[in-house]
Amino acid sequence: MNATSTAHRFLYPGLPAAALWILSYLGARLALKTLEMDPWLRVTVALIPVLPTALFLWLIIANIRGLDELQRRIHLEALAIAFPLAILLLWTLGLLQVAIDLPAEDWSYRHVWVYLPLFYFVGLAIARRRYE
Amino acid sequence: MKNRLRVMRAENNWAQADLAERLEVSRQTVNAIETEKYEPSLTLAFKIARLFGKPIEEIFDPNHSGSADKA
Repeated sequence: MNATSTAHRFLYPGLPAAALWILSYLGARLALKTLEMDPWLRVTVALIPVLPTALFLWLIIANIRGLDELQRRIHLEALAIAFPLAILLLWTLGLLQVAIDLPAEDWSYRHVWVYLPLFYFVGLAIARRRYE
Repeated sequence: MKNRLRVMRAENNWAQADLAERLEVSRQTVNAIETEKYEPSLTLAFKIARLFGKPIEEIFDPNHSGSADKA
């Protein structure tokens, strides 16, 4: 089990599931924006991404459980970095929203979520470097 | 915690990847233990000891703490 095979193990099932998740999210958004639907159908469409998200989570957790103890620690440390950074971002945006007129179109939760995986990958790089 | 893993691996003419395969861990894990950046769990320490046929205290020396696992 080397670093490359670990990455492959992690990415191989994870990427298609992540793609499915993102596609279902974008599809649901597009449908909600463009199609006329009853309220119950709108709620159903809004909940469609939950299924691929659950699949993605299950695959990620199953993969992390299959890693060795150091690799698991690296992922834990990545989360320990990413989680406070995510809170910091949300708090800062919240305060900025009070301080100035922050354009909601640029800084709503629909756009800010992109930073969360970014923080995780930053944390992963920092944690990996520590044990190199 | 100091350890003799690198020396013992060299005595067996094993590359880090060979040892990693035998221990069912990543090469990075073996390297991190050898460079004392990471202290293995008791389970892995026993596995290492069994693989080399030595008692744990002959491989790991708890009296010499290194920089492993410190912030």
